[in-house]
Amino acid sequence: MNVIYTLIPGMTFLGLVFFAIMIWAVKKGQYEDMEGNASRILQDDDEDMMP
Amino acid sequence: MNQHSAHSTGCFHCGLPITAGISFHAKLDGTDRNFCCLGCQSVCAAIFDAGLQSYYQRTPEGVLLAPPPEPPKDIEIYDFDEVQQEFIITSGELRDIHLLVEGIHCAACVWLIERGLKREPGVQLANVNLAAKRIHLRWNNNQTKLSTLIRALARIGYSAVPYDPENAEGVIKKANRGMLFRLFFAGFAMMNLIWISIALYSGANKGEFREFFHWMGFALATPTLLYAGYPFYRGAIGGLRVWRLTMDLPIAIGLSVTYAYSTYITVTANTIGEVYFDTVTNLIFVILIGRYLEGMFRHQALSATKRLLELQPRVATVIQDGKEQITLTRGVKLGDHVLIKPGYKVPVDGIVLEGKSAIDESMLSGESVPVSKSAGAKVFAGTVNANGALLVKVNSTLQNTTLSKIIRLVEEAQSSKAPIQRLADTIVPWFVLVTIICATLTYFIWNTENFEIALMAATSVLIITCPCALGMATPMSIAVASGLGAKHGILVKNGLVLETLSKATHFVFDKTGTLTEGKMSVAHRLTASNVVEEDILRSAAAVERYSEHGAAKAIIAESEAHQLNYRDVIVNAFSATAGLGVQADVNGETVLLGSTEWLIRNGIALNTGLQAQAQELEAQAMSCVFCALGGVHVAVFALADKLRDDAQQLVSELRSAGIGMTLLSGDRKAVADAIARQLGGMEVIAEVLPQDKDRVIQRLQQEGKVVAMVGDGINDAPALIRADVGIALGSGTDVSVESADIVLMHNGLDKVRLATMLSRRTLLTIKQNIGLSFLYNAIMVPLAMMAKVNPLIAAITMPISSLVVIGNAARIRNLFKNEKS
Repeated sequence: MNVIYTLIPGMTFLGLVFFAIMIWAVKKGQYEDMEGNASRILQDDDEDMMP
Repeated sequence: MNQHSAHSTGCFHCGLPITAGISFHAKLDGTDRNFCCLGCQSVCAAIFDAGLQSYYQRTPEGVLLAPPPEPPKDIEIYDFDEVQQEFIITSGELRDIHLLVEGIHCAACVWLIERGLKREPGVQLANVNLAAKRIHLRWNNNQTKLSTLIRALARIGYSAVPYDPENAEGVIKKANRGMLFRLFFAGFAMMNLIWISIALYSGANKGEFREFFHWMGFALATPTLLYAGYPFYRGAIGGLRVWRLTMDLPIAIGLSVTYAYSTYITVTANTIGEVYFDTVTNLIFVILIGRYLEGMFRHQALSATKRLLELQPRVATVIQDGKEQITLTRGVKLGDHVLIKPGYKVPVDGIVLEGKSAIDESMLSGESVPVSKSAGAKVFAGTVNANGALLVKVNSTLQNTTLSKIIRLVEEAQSSKAPIQRLADTIVPWFVLVTIICATLTYFIWNTENFEIALMAATSVLIITCPCALGMATPMSIAVASGLGAKHGILVKNGLVLETLSKATHFVFDKTGTLTEGKMSVAHRLTASNVVEEDILRSAAAVERYSEHGAAKAIIAESEAHQLNYRDVIVNAFSATAGLGVQADVNGETVLLGSTEWLIRNGIALNTGLQAQAQELEAQAMSCVFCALGGVHVAVFALADKLRDDAQQLVSELRSAGIGMTLLSGDRKAVADAIARQLGGMEVIAEVLPQDKDRVIQRLQQEGKVVAMVGDGINDAPALIRADVGIALGSGTDVSVESADIVLMHNGLDKVRLATMLSRRTLLTIKQNIGLSFLYNAIMVPLAMMAKVNPLIAAITMPISSLVVIGNAARIRNLFKNEKS
């Protein structure tokens, strides 16, 4: 049972890390435009670079 | 790569079908293309010219483009530093701005805009937000101008205007987001602590892990208290500074004591006591929910002034040495000559020198009929010039215009209005006092036996007098009531007034547009005995359809109401004389419509019988239009502003409820009196200016009345803010809607009654909720004083008390079950 001495604090800490990441992402505006970037990645921007 | 399937048959750009006969062609890349309109054609040509034609391959299948929107007017004004100041984030050479864009439909637009803008010299960054339809633009002001960039966007089919994200989204929203983060954090900590608590309750509090679980609880509760609990401490200390016991105080005391006691147990490794860390986080989480709900319905106080300022145009066209010059309104001096083009807003107060036009002054006076202006007439800043150009001599600028005076009144009313006294606020100080006395008593009584037990019992009194339910009582009821109101056309902007409205003892109504429809209609038709009434009406409507006067619309509407086919009547030689009347030939006979003077001038003898009746109607404040057919005076149309259908019912219901009423109007006394008489009589204060409306409300409040004001115009704005409850009609001006606490959608005046009922029900629910939380305390506090409460009981009963309050608030919806007819 001694495993809980590391497991519980470890998992709680992990949860806090995820929480911090989420707040950071919201503040950075990662959720501002859910559609634009999703389709932007599909746009071919490199036509002129192709040989 | 997919090709637009619609292109083969419809417009090459937008895919809409091309109207037969009208078509636009262009040879692009060697292929002839068809377009539905000139807009599409020029946009498409611009796209091809820029070499961005692969845009058409990028548009996803099935997405139909739309013809380009109208490009924005007057974009040069955005080049002025003073104007840009409001929008740009950084000044200097490199500037950042957000543009709100019309015409973005799909991902291909993102590509086209970003490509198109980056080709412009001086553009450093162009980033499109597809979801919000916005562009973040950074440009070098030395290399290009903002207007050039906006124009470049217009060329490829997008209409863009600067947009200030700070103001548009509001500081309040931002504060609410901060609250949401705290709420999330408290939720996270609470869920983890529940597991630890369950472990403790199920026996771990006796075993080897006792201390470990205590320390875990401490580790989770500490950041929660400091971060998520911070607003309560700030509120409590802020309240104490001004010698007021706020709701935050019992919460802060409860949290601190619970936390301190639990920490004491943890640190001293005490083997008897229990920790209450889960109670700390539970409490924070539940009360934050209440706070968050409350924040959603907070009043945005500053926006009314901002909307008012927006009414004032930023630039004016000044005539200098015979040349038109666009300058900032701020730079216009007294005595300058300003040109006001049709369709533009009047930038200053002034006197007309030349020109004739109708001006829409509805934002100032509430009258919807445009007022005709010619040389010598006064015009006011913020009103809209409808149809002719006017040359105006400036006689007051910026701070002294009528509009600015209203702005100042609004600001004054906002700053001097007493804060709303909530029911909970009046109870809380006593609640805090009693709690502290009980805790102290408990401590001293038990201390005679055992210090350990005395400390525990006193602490549990403080913990168990859960302000949870009390804290949720008001916000939860208001949140439910606001949500239900919105569903039924009552938009509650400031939730706190729901408590106040139920106590309103006096209603003040604006006349035009509130009790009446705000537009003229035919109230009476008088005809000479020897003619057919309907023929006259048909001929009159046929002539009036060429006129733009407000009376003309009324006569046409009357004719339509009687299903008379006036459109087929042939009308020749129509002419209008401003201020007098109109004249035209119908079926070979001359029809004259206008004032008595108009008939006399045309040599027509007035019918004495009709004239006498007309005078009687004019005494009742109706305006009469005289009609002559073939040189004989045959009819009189009496026009009046019609009462709203539901006005009568509302007024009589309020009267039977014993509520005082006042009619406030900027209109003539006779008109206001006539309306009041139709409604069965009420106090009438007519011919008032906006500042008087504000003063009337103040006077009523000084008499100790709780005043609700119902209005719709800009001139009502100061009064709406001053009143204890401001109610605006949804059809009203933006400013009145911003100033009001409650907005009635769909213009239903009878919604006033529903809103009153809703507010009564809300207050009742708040009272019940407070009663419930007292009941809970009446049971739990004696138990705590007897030292019979343990953490398990606290953890179970506290959420239950909150749930009961939430459940009771949800019962407000029963009110609408009967109302749904």
